[in-house]
Amino acid sequence: MDYYLSQLINGICQGSIYALMAIGFSVVFGVVGLVTFTHGEVIMIGAFAAFYAFQLVGNNLLIGIVASFAASALIGVFVYKVCYERFLDAPEYISLICTIGVSMLLKSLAQIVFGPNNKPMLDVVPNRFYGWDTVGLTLIQIIVIATVAVLSILLYLFLNRTRWGIMLRAVSQDRKAAALVGIDVKHTILAGNCIGCGLGGVAGMLLAIYYQTLVATMGGAAGMKAFAAAVLGGLSDVPCAAFGGFFLGVIENLGITFTSASFRDIFAFVFLLIVLLIKPEGFAHKKGARV
Amino acid sequence: MTGASEDSGRARLSKPLKIALCALGAAVLLALPAICPQSYTMGVMCRILMYVLLAGSLNVINGYSGQFNIGHAGFYCIGAYCEAILATRLGLSFWIALPLAGLAAMIVGFIVALPTLRLRGTYLAIVTLGASEIIRLVALNWEGLTGGPDGIKGIPAPMLGGFKISRSGDYYYIFLALAALFFFVTARVIGSRVGRAWLSIREDESAARSLGVETSRYKAANFMYGAFWAGIAGAAFAPYFKYISSDMFSLDEGFNILSMVIIGGQGTLVGPVVGAVIVNFLTEVLRPVSQYRLVAYAILIIVMMWVRPQGLVGASNSILAERKLGRRRRGAARAADREASCGGAK
Repeated sequence: MDYYLSQLINGICQGSIYALMAIGFSVVFGVVGLVTFTHGEVIMIGAFAAFYAFQLVGNNLLIGIVASFAASALIGVFVYKVCYERFLDAPEYISLICTIGVSMLLKSLAQIVFGPNNKPMLDVVPNRFYGWDTVGLTLIQIIVIATVAVLSILLYLFLNRTRWGIMLRAVSQDRKAAALVGIDVKHTILAGNCIGCGLGGVAGMLLAIYYQTLVATMGGAAGMKAFAAAVLGGLSDVPCAAFGGFFLGVIENLGITFTSASFRDIFAFVFLLIVLLIKPEGFAHKKGARV
Repeated sequence: MTGASEDSGRARLSKPLKIALCALGAAVLLALPAICPQSYTMGVMCRILMYVLLAGSLNVINGYSGQFNIGHAGFYCIGAYCEAILATRLGLSFWIALPLAGLAAMIVGFIVALPTLRLRGTYLAIVTLGASEIIRLVALNWEGLTGGPDGIKGIPAPMLGGFKISRSGDYYYIFLALAALFFFVTARVIGSRVGRAWLSIREDESAARSLGVETSRYKAANFMYGAFWAGIAGAAFAPYFKYISSDMFSLDEGFNILSMVIIGGQGTLVGPVVGAVIVNFLTEVLRPVSQYRLVAYAILIIVMMWVRPQGLVGASNSILAERKLGRRRRGAARAADREASCGGAK
């Protein structure tokens, strides 16, 4: 019983990282209106940015968060310039293929620059354990959950309380109407894309800290999980995407207790297929959602 | 864009001349192992022909029905493993294992396509991406069946009338025959009622449905057809290479195939051939700096989308695709293409 309970805790903790990735994904999808294939690579860049920041500046978590957010947001600018800016009115598949191209580009460049092998992550967080017997939380888990919670609350405040956030939501609801009331649509899309990517980057850093390792090809599975979690909310609903992330983390960790750890990435996919079969439009009740 | 000059150019090519050109091309292709028998050249030719099969089958899905598959390597993987397992475990002959491998890929294709038939194309894209990776992971971890990380070694070469086909100069003919068969069958299918249904789905899915095309069924059929030929390509590859392992079928391999279709051009039969030749040529040129290979493909894909989204010989000016379509349809396709390229230039 203790074993399952601790797996559940692991699941929730990992799920919180997936939730942050999915939040980033659904912010991007909401404002750009397109599925992006670069999210996994954005996550990977965030992890490496944090790694080098820790190495160069010092083991301070805040530095890592700022570095990964900034690096991934910068990649977001690049993605926007290459994939979206010219093609906002063009057929959807052109942007889509462009994001695939950028994802290939980033992944293969990362393999060249950072090397193809796994790197051990620096010990940013001391390895401590709080709990009874075998059930409990490690300090890493506490920090991961706390970071995700703080960022989610900040994003919520940003989207609902600030002028920029309201502009973002307006653009993601109706681009033309937003333009009619005087919102600079292109800049807003750029800003939204950067924020989504930045959140993905921080998630990448947390992933690297949690698993104590990072590798240039980590983006593939991560992007897939972000998508699978975001599908639960119809791709653009942020709270539902977060819930999907938690759910996915728990399913994954309970799944591997019954099979083996090498099948970890399969559960995200099975989860995605099941959601698509049962409720493809997601669980966020929205009228006219594009499916 | 160059419609007028093309029409006149096509008018100049009389039918006997065209047949003569085709015969000449076929003769050159058939005689190639005799002209340049070096195993390096033949190896490259074998790879090009195999990728022609893979890119061609992906093009049937992406180019003709407008679905979006980016995990084609998964079906390729299924075909290769299926043939290898049947040949090494059960001792089945290559000629029986080949169609069985195609069928296996087709069934998996159906399972993959099923949940996304009524959804937007991007869902299918992600699902195929995931499926490709999952198929690879299963091949890597199911040690009892697939040999796990060691892969499958010693896949027997196909026999034909007591003659063992193992040299690349001989194996070339297997790939050539499969590619020829693929083009023959696909050209017939594209010209048939089924092919027209696929095209109508690509142009406008709701309009096609309102005209009585059962879009879900035809999309599933299209996906299965593409997966089948990818499986065939995989099954032909396994005994050629004699060894397969799961890392040959990574997502990068799928992107490799996709880049051929995109660079060559979607929606025409020659497009993927051009793409396969260009990409394989690049692979050979970039062999000393092979880690930059995918960087080059990625940049090519992006440049292609910026400059010419329909690909080098995309749907707007292909002779092969248009001859089947009839004049009015051709005009409409061209208008649509012009619109697309104008939209892209904005």
